[in-house]
Amino acid sequence: MTNTYYEFFCPVKVIAGKAALEHIPYELTGLAAKRPMIVTDKGVRAAGLLDPVIAACEESGLEIISIYDDVPPDSSTTVVRDIAAIYRKEKCDSIIAVGGGSAIDTGKAVNILVSEGGTDIAKYAGAGVLKHPLKPFFVVPTTAGTGSEVTSVAVITDEKKGVKLPFTSSFLLPNAAIIDPRMTLTLPPHITAATAMDAMTHAVESFTCMAKNPLSDAYATAAIKKVSQSLLHVMDNPKDSDGRLELAQASTMAGIAFSNSMVGLVHSLGHATGAICHLPHGLCMSLYLPYVLEYNLETIRQPLGELLLYLEGPEIYAATPASRRAEASISALRKLRDALYKRCQLPRTLKETGKVSEDQLDHIAEMALDDGSIMFNPKEVSLKDARAVLQRAWA
Amino acid sequence: MLAKRIQPLAFQARRLYVELMFQVMGRALQAVSEVDSEVQGEAQALPKGFLFEMMVMPEGAKLIVEHIGNGRFHYHGGSAPRPADVSIKFKHIAHAFLVLSFQEKTAVAFANDRMLVDGDVSYAVRMTRILNRLESFILPKIIAKRAVKEYPENLHLPEKLISAAQIYLKVATHFVQTARA
Repeated sequence: MTNTYYEFFCPVKVIAGKAALEHIPYELTGLAAKRPMIVTDKGVRAAGLLDPVIAACEESGLEIISIYDDVPPDSSTTVVRDIAAIYRKEKCDSIIAVGGGSAIDTGKAVNILVSEGGTDIAKYAGAGVLKHPLKPFFVVPTTAGTGSEVTSVAVITDEKKGVKLPFTSSFLLPNAAIIDPRMTLTLPPHITAATAMDAMTHAVESFTCMAKNPLSDAYATAAIKKVSQSLLHVMDNPKDSDGRLELAQASTMAGIAFSNSMVGLVHSLGHATGAICHLPHGLCMSLYLPYVLEYNLETIRQPLGELLLYLEGPEIYAATPASRRAEASISALRKLRDALYKRCQLPRTLKETGKVSEDQLDHIAEMALDDGSIMFNPKEVSLKDARAVLQRAWA
Repeated sequence: MLAKRIQPLAFQARRLYVELMFQVMGRALQAVSEVDSEVQGEAQALPKGFLFEMMVMPEGAKLIVEHIGNGRFHYHGGSAPRPADVSIKFKHIAHAFLVLSFQEKTAVAFANDRMLVDGDVSYAVRMTRILNRLESFILPKIIAKRAVKEYPENLHLPEKLISAAQIYLKVATHFVQTARA
């Protein structure tokens, strides 16, 4: 018997496809919730993405009691406290987060406060602090990449202390994730590309890092196949709702995969680059993915080689000698990045971003080394190693 | 029948082994921070007074060290003067035994959800690097390779032997001092 052991958990009800939003009233009623509050941001509202959500509820006689649409890109403890105060004042009984990572994380944090009580979200920071189920919480993602709708983590900035507070608990998982292609139809090309590459990176790292397991592998490979088959098609046909649904589902599947098997060095470097150079997360993922896979290559040759089947399809997989499949997988990802660069100039190197200077690389490497995800990278990473990967990603 | 009789003894032995290993590791952490500049460099990034704890849930053995400044650690034994800043918690003594008997690497134990991190994850990552460095020094290479993700290529035998001797001497001295006190 080997020492193999793993855990896998995802109790989120996934409601996906055409007219998925129209299931919200029924699902809320099933949880005895009648007074929902929407948490979102101004961009989502301005894009008209709230309209179908509100219409779907009103048509079923369910009134949205309150809408908070001022969630900032980096949500803070103050914002969470303010939203919780409105929730209590309006006597709401459930939360629907509509948006990307920030709105979803804010919704999770507000749910902690309104369920557990108090006004200081900081005291619930950390792992395993929550001991009870929270109020009914639904998530409607408006990007196809973060996978936050199926993760048990939220990150909120404590403005006073200037630190990011992590919250980890299975009780943060929403009761339902509503994946409706209408919510991503109007995403601009560069965001479509970056967020899809975020999902791709979640899936690839999930499949190649230390905590991989048979169940997360199944979700990861399915997600990679969907992104590989649909991303360029959606870039060329942005109004194709079937393609949009494929990407949205891929994002959720990749989210389920990585929340159960974690991620590695791509994320460590991406988190550090995002913090220092303020580059979007998805862009960082796309940028670093091939360079990190090259760094990890000899440790992950076998699983990376398997991914060629999902990246390029059975014909190319069968025609490629087993010993060359890992390199061919990296080439497939490079080819995809080149195609995205051609369509929306999604940067492939740090230099191409125009927002990073070479003298920042040391700082990025140092910060990446202290990132939690580096623990799960299959190969040990020293400061020198991280710096070398950054140098290769420079130009 | 015999197995049933032996089982409580085996559990007792396992508990004693984990307690002993925590005591050795705690003292060795203090010692390595006095002899190795790389560990000192890593530890200097921790706030002065930073308390690090490793423990077995729910109320099992504990190892507590404090960063007392300049990259130096002080071993507090199993009781902390205040709540720890970062705590690595084994979910069960069986999981602690797997790691401390080098049947499972620390990184693999994290990946396998054998333990939880409570506190700032970046500090936990730093402390894990320090623990890896310590294990690379004090364990024979063949065992250290089972304990750490990657045995450091630049750690050559003379440096390893000298550092290990210094660490073990300090650990032994500390044990004697504690016994006398």
